[in-house]
Amino acid sequence: MDEVKVGVFLSDCGNQLSKILDFNALTAYVKNVSGVVLIERNSEFWRGDGLQTIVDAVKGRKINRVVVAESLPKLSEVNIVQTVEKTGLNPYLVEVIDLKDHCAWPHRETPQEATEKAKAMLLAAIERAKLLEPIEKLEFPVLKSALVIGGGIAGMQTAVDLTDLGFEVNLVEKAPFLGGLAARAGRFFPTDDCAICIQPPASDVKTITHTSRKCVYRSGFSEIPNLNILTNSKIVSVEGVPGNYKVTIEKKPRYVNELKCVRCDLCTTICPVEVPDEYNAKLKNRKAIYMNIPNVHPPVYVIDDSVCKFNDCAKCVDVCPTDAIELNQKSEQINLNVGSIIVATGFQEYDSSIIKEYHYDDYPNVITNLALARMIDGFGPTGGVIIRPSDRKTAKKIVMIQCVGSRDRRYNPYCSSICCMISLKHASLIKSAYPDTDITICYIDIRTTGREHEHYYERAREMGIKFVKGRPTEILRDPETGRLIVDVEDALLKKFLELDADLVVLAPAMVPAEGTKELAEILGLELDEDRFFKEYNSKLRPTETKLRGIYLCGGATFPKDAPTTSLHAHSAAVKAAKFLSTGKIVKDQRTAIVNEEYCGDCEFCPVTCPYGAISLVSTTEEHLVARISDLLCEGCGVCVGTCPLNAIELRHSRPNQMLAQMKALMSINGTSKPLVLAICCSECGHTAVDSAGMARMQYPANVRVMKVPCTGILQVHQVLEAFKVGAQGVMVVGCKSDGCHYEVGSQKAEKKVELAKMLLKEYGIEPERLEMFKMVFIEGNKFAEAAQMITERLEKLGPLQLMRGS
Amino acid sequence: MTSYAIFLGCTIPARQPNYELSARKALAKLGIELIDLANMTCCAPPPIQSINLEASLAIAAYNICLAEEADLNLITLCTGCFESLSIANTMLKADKQLKAKINRILSQAGKEFLGSKEVKHYLQVVTDDVGLERLKQNVSKPLTNLKVAAFYGCHALRPSELLKFDDPERPQIFESLIETLGAKNVEYRNKLKCCGGLLRGYSDDLALNMAREKLVNTTKAGADCIATLCPFCFVALDIGQMQVKLKFNEIYDMPVLHYSELLALALGIDPEELALKTHKIKVDKVLNKII
Amino acid sequence: MEYGKEEKTTNLAFSKVVTSRLGGETISLCYQCGTCASSCPVAKITERFNPREVIKLSLLGEKNEVISGDAIWLCCSCYNCQERCPQKVEIADVIYALRNIALEEGYIPNIYSEFASALLNDGRIVKVSKFVENKRSVLGLPPLQPTGVDALRKILSATGFDKLQQKEEESE
Repeated sequence: MDEVKVGVFLSDCGNQLSKILDFNALTAYVKNVSGVVLIERNSEFWRGDGLQTIVDAVKGRKINRVVVAESLPKLSEVNIVQTVEKTGLNPYLVEVIDLKDHCAWPHRETPQEATEKAKAMLLAAIERAKLLEPIEKLEFPVLKSALVIGGGIAGMQTAVDLTDLGFEVNLVEKAPFLGGLAARAGRFFPTDDCAICIQPPASDVKTITHTSRKCVYRSGFSEIPNLNILTNSKIVSVEGVPGNYKVTIEKKPRYVNELKCVRCDLCTTICPVEVPDEYNAKLKNRKAIYMNIPNVHPPVYVIDDSVCKFNDCAKCVDVCPTDAIELNQKSEQINLNVGSIIVATGFQEYDSSIIKEYHYDDYPNVITNLALARMIDGFGPTGGVIIRPSDRKTAKKIVMIQCVGSRDRRYNPYCSSICCMISLKHASLIKSAYPDTDITICYIDIRTTGREHEHYYERAREMGIKFVKGRPTEILRDPETGRLIVDVEDALLKKFLELDADLVVLAPAMVPAEGTKELAEILGLELDEDRFFKEYNSKLRPTETKLRGIYLCGGATFPKDAPTTSLHAHSAAVKAAKFLSTGKIVKDQRTAIVNEEYCGDCEFCPVTCPYGAISLVSTTEEHLVARISDLLCEGCGVCVGTCPLNAIELRHSRPNQMLAQMKALMSINGTSKPLVLAICCSECGHTAVDSAGMARMQYPANVRVMKVPCTGILQVHQVLEAFKVGAQGVMVVGCKSDGCHYEVGSQKAEKKVELAKMLLKEYGIEPERLEMFKMVFIEGNKFAEAAQMITERLEKLGPLQLMRGS
Repeated sequence: MTSYAIFLGCTIPARQPNYELSARKALAKLGIELIDLANMTCCAPPPIQSINLEASLAIAAYNICLAEEADLNLITLCTGCFESLSIANTMLKADKQLKAKINRILSQAGKEFLGSKEVKHYLQVVTDDVGLERLKQNVSKPLTNLKVAAFYGCHALRPSELLKFDDPERPQIFESLIETLGAKNVEYRNKLKCCGGLLRGYSDDLALNMAREKLVNTTKAGADCIATLCPFCFVALDIGQMQVKLKFNEIYDMPVLHYSELLALALGIDPEELALKTHKIKVDKVLNKII
Repeated sequence: MEYGKEEKTTNLAFSKVVTSRLGGETISLCYQCGTCASSCPVAKITERFNPREVIKLSLLGEKNEVISGDAIWLCCSCYNCQERCPQKVEIADVIYALRNIALEEGYIPNIYSEFASALLNDGRIVKVSKFVENKRSVLGLPPLQPTGVDALRKILSATGFDKLQQKEEESE
C-alpha cells in the first residue's frame, strides 16, 4: 500500500474565522502531525480556486488523503467528494469537518479555548483520514418490469403510469374482474361523477385531448401492449432481491375462454343456479355464471365453481354459440421475473356484525354504506331505487350512523377518514333524486377536511338532511311493525331521541383488504398497528417501503378517497420508475462486513437488522455465520452494536478509526473544564450540533463531537474506552426513538447506555457521567443546553477518580 | 362430587331463605357440594366500592384468600357477590402491580392473595360442571307450559371484559337453562337493562320507575313469571311490585322466582320445603301451572 | 355555569386527580359521543343524571359541581355505558372514583354512611338478627359461620376507609 500522505485544507471563511481561531497556531500545529504533507489555507474550499487547489494536489499525487475544514459541511462535503472522485481518488478517503459551526461560532467568546479545540478536531480528522480505506461501487441488475398487486383504481392508475413510461407491467387482481371497491362505490366525491374512471394511457392522448378522463372500458386500458392483466389470480410466493424478484402466481380457472366469449348473455339466461350476489351486497341474486356489471374488464363471464354443477348441468355449454365455455379448465401457475413490486391491495368495510348492538347480522334493514352505494347505482340491484331489503318497499326514512367500529378502541381506534364524506355524498344523492326522503345522520364529529369537502356538508344541510350529534347506543326493532328504532342522545340538546327508520345505514370502519397479512408475510413487509401496510416514512416517503424495490399505493396504507388515491398511485409509479429506469442499482459498498472467524451461531444480528440484510449460512465446519447482503445493507451499524463477539465492522466506520478519533479529540483540552465526548449520530444528532453553531449558541469548548453513522453502532466497551482515553463524561446524541433514520438504532443505543451505566457503577465510576440525548436538527438549543448541563454536572462530581491511578 | 366454598354474602342469609334453601337443595341433588367457610365477610359490592374502591378490592381479595387457603373454588348465588369477587380476582390476576398493592393491605390481616382459584356464579357451575344434558336427565317435573322471562340483572354480564360470563349483548346461558327445565323462554324489550335495584335507598322513585319498566315489558310479553339470579333484582321486582302498586296504582301480579327455585321445583323438590311463602307476590299461579 | 366565570370553583387539575385514582384512569379518553347517555337507563328517566355530562364537567375541572351534586349518586352501576363506550372509558368505575373523592371531601349520602358503619361493626352490610338465626334453623338452613370482622377492620384501617366515619363526625 502507498504511503499515506494527508493534505489539510483550512477554510477561514473569508477571514471570519480567523477573528476567533488563531490560524497560525493551527497551521503550526498541523504541520507537526505525522503524515501531513500539505497545508493550504483559503477563504473556501468547496468551490472555485479553493476546490481547484485540492484537485491539483490530488492530481499531482502530492496527497492521497484529503482533510477539509469547511463551513456548511453537509453542503460542501458533497461537492468536494464528487470533485475528488472525478480526479481519480476514492471518495471515501476524504474527511470534511466544520470548524465554523462546531467550534468557532459556539465558542467565540473563548477564542483561545476554541483554537485548542480546533487543534483536537483537526488531529481527529487527520488520524481518521490516515486509517480510511477506499470503498468500491457495486452494481446490481434491475429488470425493467413491474408487478402491480391489486386491480382497483390505485393499481390501474399506477399500471397506466408505468406502462406509459415504457416498463412491462403485470397487474394481478384476485377477483375475477377489475375495478375493486371503486367499481362498487358507483360515484365518488368531490365530483359526484363515476367512480370507475381513470386517467387514460398516453397512447390515447394522441387521439383525444390530454385533459380527458375516461371510463376504464373506453380508456384503452386493457389494450395497452406492455400490460399483462391477470384477474382471478393471487400471489403465491415472492423470492429474490430488489431488481430481480421471482414471483409465483396462481391463476384460478375462469371456465370461459376470454378469446372466444362474445358476451351474448345466453349462458347466464339459461343457468339454473342462483345465489345471493356478494358484489351487490346480496341485494339481488346472480347466476353461477355471471359478470358483475356491464363493461367491466375483462368483458367475459366467469363461473363460480363453489356453486356450479359443472357436467351435471352443462346447460351453458350447450347454448354457447362460440364454444367459449370450458368446464375442464384448471388452475394455472404463472412465474414472472420483475424488478419492482407495487402493492395496491386497498381496503374494505369492517364487518359490522361484530358490533352486536347494531344488529347488522340479524336485522335485514340495517345495511352498510357499500350496500347503499349499490342501491344508488343505476346499474345496481335496485336500479337506483332505495329500498328496505326486508320487503323491498321504498325506504322513506333513513338514519345513517357514522363511526361504526371506527374511532372505537374496542375494534379500530383510528378515524377511517372518508366515511363522513361517503355518507354526505349518499345522503345528498338520495335527497336530490327523492326529495321526500327523510334522512338523519348521527355523527360524533363531521370531518370534511379536503378541498371542496365542506361544501358537501353545506349542501347537505341546505337540502334538509338532519344531523344529530350523538352515537347511538343501539338499534331496536319494533316486534309488531318491524320498523327500526335508533336509540341516540342528541348531545347538543341533551335530549334522547328514538329515531324511527325504514332503513339504517352504517358507516363501517375501513380496514385493510382481506389477505393483507398473508401478502405482507410473502413480501416481508411490515404492517402498522392498524394492520395496514407500513410505509417507509409517512411524511416524506409515503409510497416507499423499507424494502428497496417494493412500493405501496392507495388504500393499502390507509383508507383514502379518490383524489388521494390518485396522488398515491402516481407517486408510487414515479418511485418505481426511478428505481427501474437505469436497469441497475449502483451502490457504494458502505456496508457491514463479517469476520467469519469470530462469528458463530448466535443469530442476534439477523433479527436486529432493520433491513433484513443479514442471513445465516452454514460454513464447512457446520456452524452458522452471518452473511450480509451488500444490496440490502444500509450501513447503519446496528448489527455492529448488537454482535456480542465483535465480529462485525462497518467498512466506513471501523473500530480503529473511531478509537483514533476519540483519542485525538481527548488529547488536547485547553479549557479548565472536564473533557466531554459527544458521540453523535450522523443524522439528527450531528445536525443538531450544526444548528447550535449556526444559531451561534454558546456551549463550553470542552465538549468534543464525534460522528458515527447511527448511535445504534455503539458497543458498551466503546463507551468505557472513551473514559479510558481521557473523557470525564460521555454524551450519546441520537434521533428521537420513533424518528431514528435507521428505524431502531436510537432505541438500541438507549439500551446500551443503560447497560454501560450499570457497568460504570460496577467499576466505581458515577453513572451520571454518561447520558443519552435525543433531538432533531432544529433543536440546536437542546444540544447546547445538554452540553452545558453535563459540563456543570461533571464539575460538581470532580475529576474521575479511577482515571488518576491508571 | 364437585365441591365449592359457598359465598353467601349479606342479603341472602339474612333476608332470602327461599333463595338459599332452593339453591342448597338443588345443587346437592345435582352433586355439587357446598362448603361453608368461617370468617367470610361482605363481598364489597357497588355501595362499598362507591366509598373506597381500593378497600373494596382488598375485601374481595380477602374473601378469595379464604377459599385459596381451603383449596376450593368459590361459588356465589348473589350476582352482586359474583361481580365483586370475580372482578377482583381477574384484575389482581392480570395486574402484578395492583396485586402487590392489595397484598400490602392484606398483609395487615395476615393474608396474601395468590390468584390460584376461580370465582363462579352457580349458573356457570350448573352449565359447566353438571351440563345441560345431565341436568335434563335429572328434571323430574318439567316446567312444561311455563313462560319464563329471564332477567339476568347487570352484574352477571357486565363488565364483560372482566366477568366473561356470557356475551353481554346476546347472552344464552340463562335461557338455555330455563329451557332445559322444560319451560319456555320469553323475550321482552330491554331485557338486559337494569332493574334499578342499586338506587333503592338513595332514590326510591327512580328505582321504582326502572323496576316498573321490567314489569310492563314482561307482562306485555305474556310471561308467567320473571326469573332472577340476584337478591337485589329479586327485591326490586318482588317487593318493588308492592311499591309500584302504591305509587302508580298498578297491579301486575307478576311472580318473581329465583332460577334456583325453578330448578328445585323441576328437580322434584317439594315446594313446601322451599319457603316460597316469603315471596311478596304469591307464586301459586306458577305452582298451579306446573303441578 | 359559565366556564371561567367563577374561577374559584374551576379546578383544571381535577381531571388529572381523577385520572390518577383507581377507577378514574380512562376518563380523559372521552370524546363526548353520548353512547353512554343513550345507554343509561337512569338518564332516560331523569334529567338529574347524564354520564356524559358528569364526565364533561369533570374534564373541564368543575369539581365542586361534580362532587357536591346529586348526579354521581344516581348511577345505578349497571355498566351498560361502560360496555358500549367506543373509547373504552370505564364510566361506571369513573363514577366510583368520583364518589370516592366526594366521600373523602365530606359529601356523604345517608345510605352510604349506614353501609359503612354496618360494614365496620358486623362485617356485613345487612345485619343478621337473632330472629333470623332462629328462623334459619327452623327452615333447616345451616347455622351461619362467624364473619371475619376483625380482619376486615384491619383492611379498612389500612385503606383509610375508617376515616370516612371521622369525616362524618366532622360534618355533623
